[in-house]
Amino acid sequence: MTATISKGVGASLRRKEDARFLHGRGRYVGDIRPAGTLEVAFLRSPVAHARLLGVQKPTGLVFTAADLPEIRPIRANSTLPGFRASDQPALAVGKLRHVGEPIAACVAPTRAEAEDLAAACVLDYQALPVIADMLAARAPGAALIHEHWPDNAFLETRRDEDLTDLDAVAAAKVTRRLRTARQHMAPLEGRGVLAEWDPRLEQLVVTTAAQMPHVTKTGLAECLGLDEGQVRVVAPDVGGGFGYKGILLAEELVCAALAIRLGRPVRWLEDRLEQLTANANCREHFYEVTAWADAHGKLLGVEVDATVDAGAYSLYPFSACLEAAQIGSIFPGPYTLPRFRFRTVSACTNKPPILPYRGVARTGVCYAMETTLDALARQLGISAQAIRAANLVPPEAMPYRNLVGKVFDSGDYPEALRRAVAAVDVAAVRARQAAGEAVGFGLSVFCEQGAHGTSVYHGWGIPFVPGFEQAQARFTPDGVLELRVGLHSHGQGLETTLAQVAHEILGVDPARVRLVHGDTALTPYSTGTWGSRAMVMAGGAVAEACRQLGERALAIGAALLQTDRASVRLVAGQVVAGDAAVSLDQVARTWFRSPQNLPANVDRGGLEVTAGYRPDPDTGTHSYAAHAVVAKVCTETGMVTLEQYVIVEDGGVLVNPMIVDGQVLGGVAQGIGTALYEEMPFDSEAQPLAGTLADYLLPGATEVPDIRIEHMETPSPWTRFGQKGLGESGAIGPPGAIVNAINDALAPLGAELLDLPATPARVLAALAKAGRA
Amino acid sequence: MKPAPFTYARPADWPAALALLAEGARPVAGGQSLGPMLNLRLALPERVADLRHLPGYAGVSMQGETVRIGAGTTHAAIEDGVVPGRLGEILAGVARRIAYRPVRNRGTIGGSFAHADPAADWCAVLPALPGHAIALGPEGERRIPLAEFVLGVFETALRGDELLRAIELSALPPATHFGHWKFCRKPGEFSKATACVLATPGAAPTAVLAALDAAPLVIADASALLADPTAEAARLVATLALEDPWRAALARTALRHAAEAAR
Amino acid sequence: MSITLTVNGTPATVAAEPRTHLADLLRGELLLTGTHLGCEHGVCGACTVEVDGAPARSCLIHAGACDGASVRTIEGFGEDAVMVALRESFSAEHALQCGYCTPGMLVVARDIVLRLPDADEARVREELAGNLCRCTGYRGIVRAILGVLASRRGAAS
Repeated sequence: MTATISKGVGASLRRKEDARFLHGRGRYVGDIRPAGTLEVAFLRSPVAHARLLGVQKPTGLVFTAADLPEIRPIRANSTLPGFRASDQPALAVGKLRHVGEPIAACVAPTRAEAEDLAAACVLDYQALPVIADMLAARAPGAALIHEHWPDNAFLETRRDEDLTDLDAVAAAKVTRRLRTARQHMAPLEGRGVLAEWDPRLEQLVVTTAAQMPHVTKTGLAECLGLDEGQVRVVAPDVGGGFGYKGILLAEELVCAALAIRLGRPVRWLEDRLEQLTANANCREHFYEVTAWADAHGKLLGVEVDATVDAGAYSLYPFSACLEAAQIGSIFPGPYTLPRFRFRTVSACTNKPPILPYRGVARTGVCYAMETTLDALARQLGISAQAIRAANLVPPEAMPYRNLVGKVFDSGDYPEALRRAVAAVDVAAVRARQAAGEAVGFGLSVFCEQGAHGTSVYHGWGIPFVPGFEQAQARFTPDGVLELRVGLHSHGQGLETTLAQVAHEILGVDPARVRLVHGDTALTPYSTGTWGSRAMVMAGGAVAEACRQLGERALAIGAALLQTDRASVRLVAGQVVAGDAAVSLDQVARTWFRSPQNLPANVDRGGLEVTAGYRPDPDTGTHSYAAHAVVAKVCTETGMVTLEQYVIVEDGGVLVNPMIVDGQVLGGVAQGIGTALYEEMPFDSEAQPLAGTLADYLLPGATEVPDIRIEHMETPSPWTRFGQKGLGESGAIGPPGAIVNAINDALAPLGAELLDLPATPARVLAALAKAGRA
Repeated sequence: MKPAPFTYARPADWPAALALLAEGARPVAGGQSLGPMLNLRLALPERVADLRHLPGYAGVSMQGETVRIGAGTTHAAIEDGVVPGRLGEILAGVARRIAYRPVRNRGTIGGSFAHADPAADWCAVLPALPGHAIALGPEGERRIPLAEFVLGVFETALRGDELLRAIELSALPPATHFGHWKFCRKPGEFSKATACVLATPGAAPTAVLAALDAAPLVIADASALLADPTAEAARLVATLALEDPWRAALARTALRHAAEAAR
Repeated sequence: MSITLTVNGTPATVAAEPRTHLADLLRGELLLTGTHLGCEHGVCGACTVEVDGAPARSCLIHAGACDGASVRTIEGFGEDAVMVALRESFSAEHALQCGYCTPGMLVVARDIVLRLPDADEARVREELAGNLCRCTGYRGIVRAILGVLASRRGAAS
């Protein structure tokens, strides 16, 4: 049994995938270049809004939309009532709607020559008034981005409840207007596509840096008029996703169409300049929040009016309104909110279309809710801890259904808060403040719904609803266990953790387990890796497939041991009956190579099982965490230094604690970016102003402090091992906790910061507004 | 993100380099500033002349109390102490905070100075030091006082037919005080305000305020700044009438910190 | 133009346009794809290789400047003792996730270990500032390098 403890669920097993990366043997799209490959550079729109009148092409292979009529526009329509549909053309048709929109594909033997072609194109366009801001998009008389719409909104959602009576009874009422910046997810590897046409199979093979290869396959088939059997999508090693690669790309469609037309492999590798300028596409929210509380800090009601800058198009598959639709349902957070009114707007602007980034709308929501709570606490003269303790869902209420129907599975939220506060010497912070130092303590508490299934996504109206996640488990003739899953691992370590799950069930050494993923030809259909779902969904599916495979192995093993099924069990990779044992290797060898020894009644499915899994109920797991921060503010320069960062996290049963910590830490680093550094500024013409990583600042080793993580492990009652999804959680809490710490430091000076990121310039502006700088 | 086409030349001696320059070639040393501009197609030279293999381009020599630093000497070499004495210590401290080590391994003091990016460290420090930039043109060497070398954003006193060959500096006595402060939100970020103050025994202290999106402000006699850093920093920055209050605050802070460190 | 250089100890002559940078030369012509491109403007550090014995950005060295150079890529460290220790330590400390920044990180890490044997945590972080990782939050990377530094100091004393 020692083996189970050291390698199964709960073991910090070192990653099986490390060796190849440590030797430079990872294989990413850009590393693959078949003979005869042609490279593509895109001519992209230099303006945010214009009528496209024509393109003068230089000599060479240059393709506009008119040259590739076989590509149908991308349609990602929400089923929510009132959603306004818009087509996204793979190459611009008629109008240009954001800077960076692809207009023409320039094709040459090398990327440099393809860029030469793009530089030689002459664009003819007529500029139109630009909608550069989501609030301006809604103003009366605003220019229309999609002219068949009555205004610039993809969707508006509401929950009406009259809260005006709270003014009379509340001890405190605050209203805050808050903004989060437009960001770029900035995985280190950009997007990349290699498309090839296989004339023998009449099949399109698209190798692409994708988080959800099967969904990409469906989208490619839809937009190219192929049947899905004619499309194979391969996602090799992928250098980080974070949501950026969970999309059907216009560039994928164009490369595919070109590969079919030209009969040559066609490749496009996104570079950082086009990534930043054409695709800064997440996180930009505006909130107006009003909250009422009684004298103890107990929330009486919250009203929120939220606008999301959804950009110019509705992206496939998540659509332009996933974030806004989420805001309404997740704003109450981990709290027992009694009354709630909201309106959300998915505003259409002349900016790149948005995609859900790690944490999706939760990061903005958590920021808005947590800073509002602190504003209430300051007004009431109570502590940040006290106001949260007064409102958190208590453990005895679990599972808890909140007023908008979210169901929290398990956990002790107040205990996470207590432990986070206890980990920081708050008294020392107060003493330093009393001595005049601009230092502050900040908290945020949140929960992350993960692995939410069919009912939830159907409710959000997105056109791709996940169902049962499937996994295949099979033995090879030499007894190696092969697992096949349709989602993709791009840093999450699934090659290791799913092997741990298999080990837990079958006792096979993880070294003898191979994970096949990232190839639609080899794996069962899956909606892919997103929504903190992989470990719950694929973990559950692999466990079930292995359980069924084990049953078949036990039947064969019992026959080989000349006993009955009831007398055998699986121990450490062997079928055991009393003192006698037969290894799974021998079982596999028997099925494949010595079938004469099989029992007469053997399951003819053999040693290969496909099983589906979905938690029941499928409302998702809720991991949760409390983040506690001590931050120092330089009132002279506005610079913020994170002195201490503590996280108390509950992700249920941890399959691999080392990997969990890695996910949390990586998420926090991104959250620190959201809080303090990352911002794509646009000018009034919606021109992006940061084209390099010297302008768009990503946190480095000096910006991320040594973070302390404490775990609670409250099992989810609804998942296979009690595990919960938490891949995104680290990115949710930091902006709220950090800005609360900044505002705690600034409070004695009468200043308050409202907008993200909390750059030195914004800190000084806040001080100046308070008359203190 | 690939450069537009250009041709490459590697002059073996200085006359060849000057001849290439006369033909319009763009000189390049370590390429750590020009490289990104080439890749981004912000620089579109038809021809690039690689100066790194010119005789005497890199390296440090002493002539009495004068230290001659070849323009092609890398930031990393300076960081690692190739320049002797107190001057070397001061330069090493500045060099260590330029960009990142892999960039410093290629980037050169002369290349950076001649490129004259307003945020560049050498443009903020060398003008405070006693010495000259040694330009080489068709007529031979010309000595340009360091304080007069940078004229504006990407603009220097080098003529179109001249190359920067070396930096000559006076050795500094051990008791020299030096303060250097720059504001970057993270290491390697382009500075938003840099200042340095040099206080040499027996000479008037000098100071530079740079990273202003303009030519550096060179203060030939910084005695007042050393005497009252806060007030004088405020007065100096006020004379610049900077539009952005944050940048003005950073400039004041930079001057004050540099002065305090040099006292 | 024709470029002759030494890569991982082996002489190589390749034809390249002068505008081709070393990273593309290594990846495209010599099929050494362990060197990754992350930004092509010198900030992210993914393309860092050893040039003439010191770490350098391979995206900022164009073909002509490579002529005569000696280059070592992630594929060329073999059983180098420091690299072996770093690989082990990176895995133990979970210092990598997607693997994309890892080759550049390792080249710089090795330089830190050899050049700054007394580096503390703050110095290691400062030295890593030119290598971005979007996955790990750096803690594992910092700990891995500190671990190798500590074990070498232990072995030396």
